[in-house]
Amino acid sequence: MSNNNRREIVRTQDVRKVYRMGSEEVHALQGITVTIYAGEYISIMGPSGSGKSTFFNMVGGLDKPTSGEVYIDEVDIAQLGIFELAWLRCRKIGYIFQTFNLIPVMNALENVSLPMVFAGVGADEARDKAAALLTKVGLGHRLNHRPPEMSGGQQQRIAIARAMANDPAIILADEPTGNLDLKTGHEIIDLLTELKEERGVTIVTATHDMKMLAASDRVIWVTDGKISRIQKREELDIKVGSISGEEA
Amino acid sequence: MSNSTNKHTIFADDGGGRRQLTLPWGQTIHMCWGNIRNRAGRFMLIFIGIAVVVAFFMSNLSYQGMVDDLKASAGTEAQSRLNQAAEAVRSDAKEYEAARAELEDAIHAQAVLERAGFYSDTISEKKQGDQQVWLMLLSGILCLVGITNTMLMSVTERIREIGTLKCLGALDGFVIRLFMIESVFIGLVGSLIGALVGYILTLLQVGMVLEFSLISFSQAIQTFFKGVPLAVVAGTVLTVMAAVYPTYVAARMKPVDAMRVEI
Ligand SMILES: Nc1ncnc2c1ncn2[C@@H]1O[C@H](COP(=O)(O)OP(=O)(O)OP(=O)(O)O)[C@@H](O)[C@H]1O
Ligand SMILES: [Mg+2]
Repeated sequence: MSNNNRREIVRTQDVRKVYRMGSEEVHALQGITVTIYAGEYISIMGPSGSGKSTFFNMVGGLDKPTSGEVYIDEVDIAQLGIFELAWLRCRKIGYIFQTFNLIPVMNALENVSLPMVFAGVGADEARDKAAALLTKVGLGHRLNHRPPEMSGGQQQRIAIARAMANDPAIILADEPTGNLDLKTGHEIIDLLTELKEERGVTIVTATHDMKMLAASDRVIWVTDGKISRIQKREELDIKVGSISGEEA
Repeated sequence: MSNSTNKHTIFADDGGGRRQLTLPWGQTIHMCWGNIRNRAGRFMLIFIGIAVVVAFFMSNLSYQGMVDDLKASAGTEAQSRLNQAAEAVRSDAKEYEAARAELEDAIHAQAVLERAGFYSDTISEKKQGDQQVWLMLLSGILCLVGITNTMLMSVTERIREIGTLKCLGALDGFVIRLFMIESVFIGLVGSLIGALVGYILTLLQVGMVLEFSLISFSQAIQTFFKGVPLAVVAGTVLTVMAAVYPTYVAARMKPVDAMRVEI
């Protein structure tokens, strides 16, 4: 949060999402209004089925709300055409998935270059930048290895490098540590924090793991598709402390 | 963008305007080939399927072609040799001998063809031909369904991968291109194998049913260049047709599909 002049980067206005399955309706989101500022590290917390992933998809331009608006940098993403949406996903948002989602037939370097090539960056430039990013996440020595040859933690590091490839404004990570053990999970969170500090990227993660909260500037608690409370880091520290205290 | 009067910082550096959001050919082909290699086991089945159908198609056509050629050349050759022989009787005994030997060859070929039943009843021959066409059609359809099914499986397996590509900015067109190139690859390789197998089968068939000595080198070459390109093109077109529906399914996948944890 080096030069944080509280610029709004994501704003949602009464976002609702209803899934229809036959005659049944699932109200996954029931009016979410929240503002996320540039350079923040936000964690979205909530029990399983509370609507975290659904909210994520709205913010990431992956799905459209049933009603309500999502603004990314003051642009209503419902107004964007197919090409503009693809462009937004490519250039402005970096996605990190629970299941890593690397392209198995490509090596680390090619995986990280991919978004840059999509964005029209030249091949040489893309390779150089990909190599630099991979070195940054600590995989400089494994540029030519393919994902199936790597551990989960290493794959997630490649995914982080890939998410950073086009210098996005926002990184969305839905349970980035869900498939990792505790130690590796912490390393991934530390890496994300470092990137945030260094490059001022906004990070939004979803998790239901309390231990992953320490890095957050704010925690948004979601229950049954509604925001139940928003905590700042200051309020949080006590909480996290007491939780780890209870466990010890 | 919706209204450019706002001082949007995210959307500001649109600079280059509409860039590609797709991959250059080299990388696309690299990706397709990698995917085929990754699923070598399953694609082996497709390869074999295409190869068998193309081989069947090829051997049928070529075999018929070769027999027709033999029939024609045996007939005309016999006639021309006969004339030559009559002339040679008058001039040169040595040449006469050569002409007579060739005449005997032609007569022999006709005899072999007749023994194999190729001069007999044209009606039953036609009926047999019709049956062959039906068989080819049927095997073609079966092959089509098989390829479609296998490719659909591959698309289902790759839901997350396709969704991820879309999250990274790929447009539908790119996904279509990816799967189409893949099917052209599969079709080309499968039918090439099939065409070669079919060609060998043709030679064997002619040799077994008739006589190996009847196959001349030039005729073998001619059959090869007439049949193989046709069979490869037909096999590839068949494969690409089979890939149309799976490609459509893949292209319609949503970026959200990348989020699926279970497949
Ligand atoms: N594609 C869908 N079709 C129908 N219902 C859905 C769909 N996606 C989510 N839901 C429903 O919406 C609700 C919220 O789901 P969501 O995936 O957002 O929860 P979550 O908070 O991410 O849970 P988890 O922690 O398990 O990932 C759930 O009741 C879920 O069943
Ligand atoms: Mg979820």
